[in-house]
Amino acid sequence: MTSLTAVVAKDLRLAWRNRAAWLSAMAFSTIAVLTYSFAFDLATGDVRPLLPGVLWTTFLFAGVFAAGQSFQEEVDDGTFDALLFSPVGATTIFLGKLTANLIALLIIECSQLVLATILFDVGLLTPELLGIVVIGTVGYVSLTTLLATMGGHVRGRSVLLPVLSLPLLVPLLIGAVRATGASLGLEAGTAPWMLLLLVFAIWSTLAAVLLFPIAAEQ
Amino acid sequence: MSTLLLRVYDWRWSVLPPVTGIAMMAMIVGALVAAPREIIEGEVQRLMYLHVPSAVIMYLAFSVTAFASVMFLWKRDIRWDALARGAAVVGVFLCGMALATGAIWGKPIWGVYWTWDARLTATLVLFLIYSAYLLARSVAGPLDEQAARYTAIFAIIGVADIPIIQMSVRWWRTLHPQPIVFQPTPALPTEMLAVLALGFIAIAALAAWLIVLQTETERAAQRTSALRAEIDHREIA
Amino acid sequence: MTASPPDVPIALEATALTRKYGGVTVVRDVDLALPAGSKTALLGSNGAGKTTLLKMLSRLLTPTSGSFRIDGHPGPSPEAARAVGVLGHSPMLYEDFTPLENLRFFARIYDVADADARIEEILRQVGLWLRRHEPTAIFSRGYHQRLALARALIHDPAVLLADEPETGLDPEGVALLDEIALARPALTVLAATHRIDHIGAWASGIVRLERGRLVEDTSSVGLATEGTPA
Repeated sequence: MTSLTAVVAKDLRLAWRNRAAWLSAMAFSTIAVLTYSFAFDLATGDVRPLLPGVLWTTFLFAGVFAAGQSFQEEVDDGTFDALLFSPVGATTIFLGKLTANLIALLIIECSQLVLATILFDVGLLTPELLGIVVIGTVGYVSLTTLLATMGGHVRGRSVLLPVLSLPLLVPLLIGAVRATGASLGLEAGTAPWMLLLLVFAIWSTLAAVLLFPIAAEQ
Repeated sequence: MSTLLLRVYDWRWSVLPPVTGIAMMAMIVGALVAAPREIIEGEVQRLMYLHVPSAVIMYLAFSVTAFASVMFLWKRDIRWDALARGAAVVGVFLCGMALATGAIWGKPIWGVYWTWDARLTATLVLFLIYSAYLLARSVAGPLDEQAARYTAIFAIIGVADIPIIQMSVRWWRTLHPQPIVFQPTPALPTEMLAVLALGFIAIAALAAWLIVLQTETERAAQRTSALRAEIDHREIA
Repeated sequence: MTASPPDVPIALEATALTRKYGGVTVVRDVDLALPAGSKTALLGSNGAGKTTLLKMLSRLLTPTSGSFRIDGHPGPSPEAARAVGVLGHSPMLYEDFTPLENLRFFARIYDVADADARIEEILRQVGLWLRRHEPTAIFSRGYHQRLALARALIHDPAVLLADEPETGLDPEGVALLDEIALARPALTVLAATHRIDHIGAWASGIVRLERGRLVEDTSSVGLATEGTPA
C-alpha cells in the first residue's frame, strides 16, 4: 500500500512537472470544441443535439493523445526499467499511471464542460452528467493507458495508438454519447446507457490490470 | 492427441487444396445454376451463398487468432504468433468479403450500399480492429517478441470486446435481416439450404487452407530472420 | 568451477541460466556462485551476453530456462528485488525531479527505514548534497552517474549489479565509484566492464563470457588476494 501511494504520488508529480503536454491536450480539446461549434452552427440552427457527440469525440481524442505520452518519459529516462526491477509490482506501476492520467483527463474534461456550457447555453454541470463523464473516462483511460505501453520500441506508435484504441472504444463512445444525450433531455432514459458504460468500464479496467504485467515484460 | 493432430496436419497439402477446389466449384455451380431464383430479391440473392459463410467463418478465424495469442502468452513459443497472424489475415480477408458482398446485395435491396445497422457496424468495427492488429504487428520484425506479446494482448482484448460491441450496436440500431438459417425449422427452401451448406464447406476449407499457407509463410519469415540473427551473432563473436 | 571458501555464504547464485532472444541463444547455461562480499568483473566482447546476463539477474528479462537466487531468495521474489541495486548504461533517474525527489521516491518504494537520514548520508557521499534541489536534467553525465550510484545503493543492497559503470564518469567519479561501491566489504559486486586495466584495483575475481557461455570463472578464488587474474 505504501508503494502504491508512493507510485501514485510520483506519477501525479510527474504529470504536474510535465504539464506543458497536458496543457496542449487541453488546448487541443478547446480548439476541437470551438471548431465543432463553428462548423455545426452553420449547418443547423440548434446545436444541442450534436453536443454529446462533440464532447465525447473531443474527450476520446484528447485521451488517446495524452495516454500516448504517459510511458514515454519513463521509457526515455530509463526509469521504467528502474520500476520493473524494484520490489514494486507491475500492477502498482500501472495503477499509478492510470490514476495520474485519469485525474489529468478529468480536469481537462471539466474545463471543456464549463466551456461548452458557456458556448452552447446548456446546463452541463449536473451530477448525473459528471457521473457519466467519470465512468466513461475510467472506461477509456484504462485501455488507452494499457495500449500506450508500446513504449519506445514500436515505430510510428503516435499514429498507431488511435488506430488501435478507437475501434475498441466504439461501445464506450455509443454508450457515452447516448447517456449524455439522455441526460440533456434529448432522448429518454439514461439507465441502459449508464449500464453499458459501467460494464465497459469494469471490463476494460479488469482487462488492462490483468494484461499490463505481460505487456510490461521485456 | 498431439501426434494425431500432427498426422492430420501432414495431410494438409494433399487434402486441403483439392477439397477447397471441388467445394468451391460445387458451390459456384450450385449458387448460379442449381439454387432457385429468389422471388422477391432476385439474382442478387445468390450472393448469400458467399456472404453468410464468410461472415460466420470470419468469427472462427478471429477465434483462432485469439486462441493462438493466449497460447503464445502462455507458452512463449513464437510459432503461436505465426498462427495468430496467419488466422488474422484470413479473418480480415473474410470480413472484407462479407462487407463487400453485403454492400453489393444492399444496393438493390435496401437502396443503399451501406447503412449503420447493428450487424454491419459490428462487422466494420471488427474489420478495423484486426486490420489495426495486422498493422501494429507488421511494423516490428517477425521475431520481435515484445511486439508479438503486445499485439497478442491486443488480439485478446479485441475478441473480448466483440460481445460488448455486439450489445452496444444492437441497442444502438437494427436493420439487418434476422438470422433465418440457425432456427429449429429453417425458413429456407431445401435446395437453397443445400447450396448454403456447400458454401460453408467451401469457405471453411478455403479459410483453413489460407490459414495454413499464411501461417507457414510467417513461420518461414521467422526462421529466415532467426538465421540472419544467428549469422550476425557468429560474425560478431 | 572452484569450490567457494568455507563459511562464506553465497550472495548470488545462478543455475543453468539461459536466455534466447530472436532465435539466438544470447546466454547459455551460465552457472555462477558469488560469495558474499566478493567483487567480480564480468568480461567479454560486445555481444557476448554480459548485458543480457545482468538484465536477467536484475529481473528485467525473464530467463528462458534456469534459475538464480539472490542473498538466498529465489530470483522472482520481492525479497530478491530488495537485495539488488542496479547501475546501468543509463542513469535511470527522473529527469524532471530533483536529486532529493528522486531518492525520496526510490527510498519509499524500497521501504528504506529512516529515509531522510539515509538520503542525506548518501547524497553527501556522492557529493550532491548541496545540489539536492536542482533539477536532475541540468546535471552533467558524470553527476548523473553519481546520482545513479546513490539510487542504486539507497536501500543498502546485498548485491550490486553494474553494467559498465565507468562509462561517462570522470576520473574523480571513477575514484568515487571505487570508494563507495567497490570498497564496501559486505557488498557483493558483479560489474560488466571494458576497463581491464582498471579491474586489478578492485576485482577479487573475474568471470568471462564468450558467445553466451561462461569460459572463465575465478569469482570465488581469491577473496583475500588482490592480484590481477589471467
